[in-house]
Amino acid sequence: MNEPETFEILVDGASITARAGETVLQAAARAGIEIPTLCHDDRLDPMGSCRMCLVEVAGSRRLQPACAWKAAAGMEVKCETERVARHRVHLLEMYLADHAAPATPEPLAPKNQVLQLAERYGATRRLPALEARREARADANPYVHFDPDQCILCARCVRYCDEVEAVSAITLAGRGAKTTIATAAQTQLLDTTCELCGGCIDTCPTGAMREKKPRSVVELAQPVKQVRTTCNFCGVGCQLDLHVADEKVVKVSAPPTGTTLNDGNLCVKGRFAYDFIHHEERLTKPLVRENGQLVETSWEIALKRAAEGLRGVEQRYGAQALGFVSSSRCTGEENYLVQKLARAAFGTNNCHQCAAT
Amino acid sequence: MFGAGAMTNSIPEIRDADLLFVIGSNTTEAHPIIAMEMKRAVHNGAKLIVADPRAIWLSEVADIHLQLRPGTDVWLLNAMAHVIVAEGLADEAFIAKHTSGFEAVKATVADYTPEEAERVTGVPAESIREAARLYATTRKAGIYYTLGITEHTHGTDNVYCLANLVLMTGHLGVRSAGMNPLRGQNNVQGANDAGATPIYYPGYQSVTDPEVRAKYEAAWGVPLSPEPGLNLNVMMKELNTEGIKGLFVMGEDIVLSEPNAGKVEHGLNQCEFLVVQDIFPTETMRYADVVLPATCFAEKDGVFTNSDRRVQRVRKAVEPPGEARPDWQILCDLARAAGYPMPHYSGPGEVYAEMAALAPKFAGISHERLEQHPEGLHWPCPDPEHPGTPTLHLDGPMVGIAPFQAVSYRPSAELPDPEYPLVLSTGRTLYHYNSASQTLRDPGTVAKQPENFIEVHRRDARKLGAGNGDRVRVHSRRGEVEAVVVVSPRVRPGCVWMPFHFPDQLTNRLTNDAGDSVTGTGEYKVCAVRLERLSPAPVA
Ligand code: SF4
Ligand code: SF4
Ligand code: FES
Repeated sequence: MNEPETFEILVDGASITARAGETVLQAAARAGIEIPTLCHDDRLDPMGSCRMCLVEVAGSRRLQPACAWKAAAGMEVKCETERVARHRVHLLEMYLADHAAPATPEPLAPKNQVLQLAERYGATRRLPALEARREARADANPYVHFDPDQCILCARCVRYCDEVEAVSAITLAGRGAKTTIATAAQTQLLDTTCELCGGCIDTCPTGAMREKKPRSVVELAQPVKQVRTTCNFCGVGCQLDLHVADEKVVKVSAPPTGTTLNDGNLCVKGRFAYDFIHHEERLTKPLVRENGQLVETSWEIALKRAAEGLRGVEQRYGAQALGFVSSSRCTGEENYLVQKLARAAFGTNNCHQCAAT
Repeated sequence: MFGAGAMTNSIPEIRDADLLFVIGSNTTEAHPIIAMEMKRAVHNGAKLIVADPRAIWLSEVADIHLQLRPGTDVWLLNAMAHVIVAEGLADEAFIAKHTSGFEAVKATVADYTPEEAERVTGVPAESIREAARLYATTRKAGIYYTLGITEHTHGTDNVYCLANLVLMTGHLGVRSAGMNPLRGQNNVQGANDAGATPIYYPGYQSVTDPEVRAKYEAAWGVPLSPEPGLNLNVMMKELNTEGIKGLFVMGEDIVLSEPNAGKVEHGLNQCEFLVVQDIFPTETMRYADVVLPATCFAEKDGVFTNSDRRVQRVRKAVEPPGEARPDWQILCDLARAAGYPMPHYSGPGEVYAEMAALAPKFAGISHERLEQHPEGLHWPCPDPEHPGTPTLHLDGPMVGIAPFQAVSYRPSAELPDPEYPLVLSTGRTLYHYNSASQTLRDPGTVAKQPENFIEVHRRDARKLGAGNGDRVRVHSRRGEVEAVVVVSPRVRPGCVWMPFHFPDQLTNRLTNDAGDSVTGTGEYKVCAVRLERLSPAPVA
């Protein structure tokens, strides 16, 4: 493989290495220099629309968007000048004027990056709030909620749906101050090509796109812990963070982009289909058949019955009359133990997992 | 294949491919995140060839869609090989250095002309030529396939044909290329790896190899059977012929998931003793003598191995409900109850360590090490210093010399006839998962797909006098099932398609349990059916 060509650029006086084709933002990020962004997501083509990442580039009269500006050999960039600082405060104040704080802060909502940046750069609600301008529309889908008042029109959701999920279910609709996010034909989300992947929620920097689900699950009064694990559905093996509160899984999210094989993405099953975990129909007691009926019993009796029953078949017909069906849904260790059970405890190689493919 | 039954290349390599040949895989629905990588590759300019009887989502963005008749894959693939040979596109240097048996393949495929193939498969000869040329002349060209290839009585033949294409073009040991079976379920790979197969101990060590057997006998302290076991398909059949009299089933609703459900039920009725270990009540449980309540992935520790041989951690997040116990504990307790001295493992980490110590492929992997590798470790990983192996065969085929396998076409076990004139294929949808015991318990996935449906071509629907939303009864020689008609441009005339997720309208009452001669995998992709129109659906 050919290594891409590299060269040096100057960022705030420090010389850093950039690769050919890289943007100023990417080169800076690799060197550990943080430039604030809103409409940028590593998974998407740069759009350069939010103006949050503007920096000074020597030789250019106007400020330029670091997320879209290609690095070039010898380029000199300044991110922390007075002028840039003034721009940031001013821009954030405009966003704040057009951006309602959520009425009830939600413990599971991702951090609102507009509010975070405003705090970091000292922007306040100095400008009068704009009229609430975009219409909220009810949508019957069970997973995705859209709050137009918190939307800053960075179009990350629309671009994600277009470029990554590639189903183009949502779009920027309306004009001027009325512009908002909607489905193409103004239909309900369930009637579009939407695959309920939740990527629009994941990429949204403000929480305007958010999950409907968690709110219905618990009233959170306690801290949420996160547990990294592997999805239990298909063979892709996406990494998940299970959010746990009150001994319940209340939300699932993808680890950050660039850290695991799913690169920040999940599908509808991995992200949303977790209600089964705490479903009331889960089996909670061992059962044995008595007079034709399955009845509840103790572990001790159930295990004894199971062992004796299998041994009985072995004694009557030989080990070859036993079969062990293992599960591709269970862990590697459990599959190891099933085959050990079949081979070592019962003496047969009649052991196969349920999906031979 | 070539020394390891798994994807030769890793998932993140897909985005850098220059060509994707996707066959028998509806990737956007069955493997959504792999499909995202494919979409990204296409977005970056990669060419896409899709071979599938249905016009699936990927075929809409494909450069070439080979819409073959179900079950005619061998014809299609041999014809592609024919073109590669005839036009001198084979990688002679690779073939000479790394393979054997090419002459036999050459001789076999000589008869498989694209024109003849067009007659059998329904794919235009010119498309076959074009696909073959594109595939052969692109270096970073990967093949991706799944159950559309394997769920046939000639599934192994299909796989051999694909392997032949890979070998004759030298697309092996190259990044973003290779031969990549996408595994349907989270831990299919891991279950195979762990030895849940009738012919291998963990790590693909043969049960008939005396040295290997001696190693396991020493470790486990008992004599072990030298006889290869029965595969699942055969076990199900032997339930009926009374070869199998006792069954232990973990985490699987075999009534729903195995083909020819009626026969499975009959067999379970004959079975003298059945133990089921699961998390929800299942159909299979109706026949059980003992039911052991188990845990789901959020309630236990362990590892899953995904499609690209990546071992990743499963971590306990919540307690199991009621008295349910982790499966690994149940299995140890059951072994002890049966008199086998299963060690008192401190946890799954120690179980993994025992497995790794006996299987060289995983010797370098441990729970402790996985903590340092959030992105997982790919086997083979022979020692604790080894970084793992995302791409296989970089130094030539692992087996040394990779054999070609000449394969001739055999028709599917059951073909349409006047009585059952349509070909039924079955598969997965995005919104549900297997027997849907999990996804039918979630509001959104149910809102998208509440009940069983059948995709029918416009022409066949007209013949039947049925339209969208009408109910039909689907008959095969083995059973009948009701479904709602979806008139779909996605299927070929004469072909219908159904998902297999819905327990109350069980598609597997229809499917054929004829199995592949090597793997025993059932022929879920081809069986003959007829449709009977029921009254139109009530107006909502
Ligand atoms: S959930 Fe996924 S498919 Fe649906 S609108 Fe959001 S990004 Fe698009
Ligand atoms: S999140 Fe979706 S794509 Fe990823 S492993 Fe789970 S089921 Fe597969
Ligand atoms: S992040 Fe650069 S313009 Fe939005």
